[in-house]
Amino acid sequence: MNTRKSITQALLLIPVFLLLVLPSCKHNDLEIEKENENFRLATDFIKNNYDMTLFYAAIEKVGLADKLRENGPFTLLVPNDAAFRELGINRPSDFSKMNQDSLKALVQRHILTRRLLFSDMPHNGVDVRYKTMAGTEVYASMAGYAPGNEAFAANELYFNGSPVTRKDVTLANGTLHMLNKVMKYTPQMTIQTWLLARPKYSIFIAGLKRFGLWDQLAATGSFTVFAPDNEGLKAAGITEASIAEMDAQKYMGTRLFGSYILPRTHFFLSDFEVFRTNNGQEFLAKKIDNDTWYSFVFTTKNFFTKVITGGINLRTAPAYPNEVYGSAGAEVPALSDHLFDNGVLHEVKGVLLLPEQALKK
Amino acid sequence: MPQLRLQNILFCAAVLLLFASGCSKVDYAKIDDPAYLRVFNNLNYVVGLENKDEEVPFLTMLIDPEMDKDGMPVKAGIKGDFLDQREPYAPPFPSHVGSSVSYKNPEYPGKANVLVGPVLNGFDLSSWAQIPSGTHRIVFMFRPVNNVPFFNLESRLKQKVLIDTTITLDSKEVYTLHVLQKNFLTKKNGVYLRKENFHKLSLSDSLVYVNFYNMSAKGFQESDDDAKEANRKSGSLRYGIKENMNIFQSLFTSEKTMLSPVYSNTYKFMGQLKRNSEVLEVSKYYSFPLFADPKSNGIYTNIWQRFDLMAIGMDPANNPYESYNMKTEGNWAPINCMLDGKSQLQGNDNGAQLPNMIVNIHSGQYNPRSFATVNTIEIVNGNVYLTTVQRKYAPPIY
Repeated sequence: MNTRKSITQALLLIPVFLLLVLPSCKHNDLEIEKENENFRLATDFIKNNYDMTLFYAAIEKVGLADKLRENGPFTLLVPNDAAFRELGINRPSDFSKMNQDSLKALVQRHILTRRLLFSDMPHNGVDVRYKTMAGTEVYASMAGYAPGNEAFAANELYFNGSPVTRKDVTLANGTLHMLNKVMKYTPQMTIQTWLLARPKYSIFIAGLKRFGLWDQLAATGSFTVFAPDNEGLKAAGITEASIAEMDAQKYMGTRLFGSYILPRTHFFLSDFEVFRTNNGQEFLAKKIDNDTWYSFVFTTKNFFTKVITGGINLRTAPAYPNEVYGSAGAEVPALSDHLFDNGVLHEVKGVLLLPEQALKK
Repeated sequence: MPQLRLQNILFCAAVLLLFASGCSKVDYAKIDDPAYLRVFNNLNYVVGLENKDEEVPFLTMLIDPEMDKDGMPVKAGIKGDFLDQREPYAPPFPSHVGSSVSYKNPEYPGKANVLVGPVLNGFDLSSWAQIPSGTHRIVFMFRPVNNVPFFNLESRLKQKVLIDTTITLDSKEVYTLHVLQKNFLTKKNGVYLRKENFHKLSLSDSLVYVNFYNMSAKGFQESDDDAKEANRKSGSLRYGIKENMNIFQSLFTSEKTMLSPVYSNTYKFMGQLKRNSEVLEVSKYYSFPLFADPKSNGIYTNIWQRFDLMAIGMDPANNPYESYNMKTEGNWAPINCMLDGKSQLQGNDNGAQLPNMIVNIHSGQYNPRSFATVNTIEIVNGNVYLTTVQRKYAPPIY
């Protein structure tokens, strides 16, 4: 009797036992998103990124690869491959053709010796300066939000006029921001020396010299120059020979060549995007010195690629009623935002005013 | 029996709770011999493409700071951080304490959690901070626009001094301190400390009082209009007004139009307004009756105020400008104190917008009830600001 009872009890326990054991046999595929904890070091991250091959090649070339594996912290402002291609650098071997010292300085100017996250920037900050590894300073500007509109922030970031297309990429030894344009800064050089070294601006230089506007570009003041190249000027019939024939007294030089220079300003084209957001300033109409006409600067930004292009035109008044004369601009963003110690230069193609339009009456 | 025991336990617990909470000692902050100070940042320029090297007017006020050997502030007796450009309207009560979601403070004390003034001679001074009286060193620093407290900023960002000066505050006196641009051409900045006297005057509570200051920078009106980046809302005032102006006051009852004036109060000459950003004297208070509109019931009135500032020798009756003229060469600038100060008159009006000076609020059994106030209208370059002070009033009965 007793034996039988215990067996029944044992039988009753079987389903309970099965219940306990069987569910543990089934393995549901439970996927939990786990954040990546293994952040790479700067060098390794760039090496593994297919859109940064040229910048990696440059790092390797100038021997900074090991430096960027150190603790840092670093902030890397990495131009993508398209940005280098715009400058004519298509494959890693093209870096060999460059002066290695200036290449090293260029790479170092794209590296900050600190961790700079987007949140470290002052809101709506313009031209906030940060030290680079090369000892120079980089200008950072933020298109934050319109006054009183903090809830709808644009929060775009620019370094020396180069738009950031991807910000705050975490690295084990710092952070990385991706640019779509190479930052061009030539320390210890004035706009004048830079122009002088480039034969494609010889007509512009001749014009500036003819009307006494050339010497100022060696001064320390700040200038924004829209430099028209020879090709565009020749197309409008302006050549070195025709300038040599001009009687400076008969022309309004301030309009003819002075209109390309905006003294006491220094702006990147991206500053228009920044101020468009921060305070609704869409363009700049700057009165030409010793003249009544205005140089008018405008920019456009590609919504998808964030590429900023712009140009300048000449007008008799900032707004209607006015007459608008010629305009000059650049399609390739790499041509703009050359930074110097005494200002910023933008390369353009086109003519603002023909000589016959600048004749004194 | 068990019921009684439970009651005993509960009773003991309650007694313990009483004792436990009664043990903490509260140290109430107290300032002996205070002066009352309210600070405004009147730097209203906009940083744009042409002047992008100018500092963003976002400030920290340090009273009695301690500097390290490099002259960088490390500590301060009183700190007023995140001091933003002031808002057009400084209300009688620090209302941003409850409604603001931003870290920016439009005035000091504003949202700052500090001891504020009492009700002095009927006037509520809760928008004034208590500061120990005596002589203080006061430093205004430019700071970046972010929510990092001043002393936690990187050291290179703590070095831009706007002004470093000393002020003397007398005990139990009411002061307003303004950070101002003193010269438009040289961009020189400074401070302006005014000892207010409204709490000492015998002001009637059936009259609305207002006084005017033109604290514009020297050379603002005379400068080229293109150089004046002003607040869109300030109408023809954005280009500045001349050194000497006459003030004419009008009252209207119609909403957003000038169709129904209060006839006894149209283009009434009030007095003169002289530009002054140096001499620290209180301007004369002008007044008009709270119930100037004969149709009002003595409890509530819907009148709004308009002030026409006109150059000496000009008269509103034969004004050469049209109401849509924004450029009046500094000869004429109307100011509308209407509704909440955000809506314009119908049509193209060149008036600057400010809120109505009369406070309409639920008090006692009346909702709304109109209260007379004491007001200050300050013109700084192209902008105009209204500060309203109100008496303490009866709480609402629901």
